[in-house]
Amino acid sequence: MNIEVKNISKSYDDLKVIIDFNMCFSSNRIHCFFGPSGCGKTTLANILTGVISADSGHVIGKNNKKISYIFQEDRLLPWATVKENILFVLDSFHNKSEAQLLADKYLSMVDLLKFKNHYPHQLSGGMKQRVSIARAFAYGGEILVMDEPFKGLHLGLKKNLMDYIIDNWNHESSFLFFITHDIDEAIYMADDIYIFNGPPLKLKRRVTIDTSREDRRNNKKLETYKKIILEDN
Amino acid sequence: MKNSITKNKKQYFKNISIFIFWILVWQSLHLIIGRDIYVPSPFSVLIKLKELLFVPRFWLSVIYSIYRVLVGLLLSIILGIIVAIISSLNKYFHDLIKPFMTIIKSTPVLSFIIIALIWFSSSNVPIFICFLMCFPIIWTNVVEGINQVDVKLLEMAKIYKVKRINILKKIYISSVLPYFTAACITCLGLAWKVGVAAEVLSHPQNSIGSHLYSAKVYLDSTELFAWTLVVILLSLLFEIIFAKIIYKITNKRFSKS
Repeated sequence: MNIEVKNISKSYDDLKVIIDFNMCFSSNRIHCFFGPSGCGKTTLANILTGVISADSGHVIGKNNKKISYIFQEDRLLPWATVKENILFVLDSFHNKSEAQLLADKYLSMVDLLKFKNHYPHQLSGGMKQRVSIARAFAYGGEILVMDEPFKGLHLGLKKNLMDYIIDNWNHESSFLFFITHDIDEAIYMADDIYIFNGPPLKLKRRVTIDTSREDRRNNKKLETYKKIILEDN
Repeated sequence: MKNSITKNKKQYFKNISIFIFWILVWQSLHLIIGRDIYVPSPFSVLIKLKELLFVPRFWLSVIYSIYRVLVGLLLSIILGIIVAIISSLNKYFHDLIKPFMTIIKSTPVLSFIIIALIWFSSSNVPIFICFLMCFPIIWTNVVEGINQVDVKLLEMAKIYKVKRINILKKIYISSVLPYFTAACITCLGLAWKVGVAAEVLSHPQNSIGSHLYSAKVYLDSTELFAWTLVVILLSLLFEIIFAKIIYKITNKRFSKS
């Protein structure tokens, strides 16, 4: 199954971010949008998922898929507890007891079950981002979008969170779009890295990473890819 | 735990000493000036207040004044919220209503009281004045609160297809609540001030304002001070009750912070 964008264009006021753009994404892969800030990669992801609509063109294959989104900021309700924050997105699709079970399940996945009655301001930045990951997984979108979710987090924590996501996403969503401008994050997570520049958005190159997850965790072969990508930039 | 008890005790003693300090200032002023008509002694005011407590008309006046202030307040809260919601939904309506609110805010309250005396019966003047003075405050704060709702949270809720009713409850109401609470606390104090002022001029049959007025006519400063004290105490009592109610509503939210 594929999601395809056909001839899409989008501009904000006078700034043409995307002009007549075409691309196709297959399911069950981690697609990484890599490029400098402001090149239009977030706009592309938002059009793909229907968060914003394109000025012209079509998105094919999206249908009515549920979308989970992990934002750059945690976007948690500050006045609700960790668990209430997760229940907030589950209420529309599940009955109460189901939602409770799901919330607990995914909170324990991100090791935050102990903190389920805490408020966001009582948690560290990394913990908040983990809640946001738990929310995305509990919701169970068939498309998972992550827009620079690790910005400002230190390396150890970043790796931790990336592992959480890699270990769990497969069974939950068929499409994963990961937006970043951090090369290490991209190589660690992606199956396909799309190197963009712009605006207007242009695909400079597509790099497919064939190294197994295990090897990546042990830092093998990653340098080779890094060189390839850096050459291009 | 132990720490918080000693802390509470300290706070308690501090408050008591502040209270005693100001009573002493009052008493010294009374002694320096030496005439009851200018500054009655705090003790004679308290004795007067105690006398009043046993007069049935005192309670009747207090109850009717409370009734007027409450009705005025409730009207301003209900209409303030409704008009604020419409203003947030429609920018033209907001721009249309804004000068009206600015004018109400900057017009002397006495002008309104005098015109209200012509329009309404004496008992309704204080209600109208309370309403009119509090309405713009509620409106301004609720509009501000709605404007401050985090767009990013709304976007998140939209992506996750959260039901509208839940967006309203969990995002809008929760964001606006602090603004609304602040407005209510301001209004509680203000409602008593302008309500009693309106009563002084419109003197309805049973009202604190009428008693203040007659105290003025008979140059009975002690009684004037005693009634004033009643207004202050009522205003404080309202604030405490309101704070308790708000605390109950938001209890869950803040108990852990």
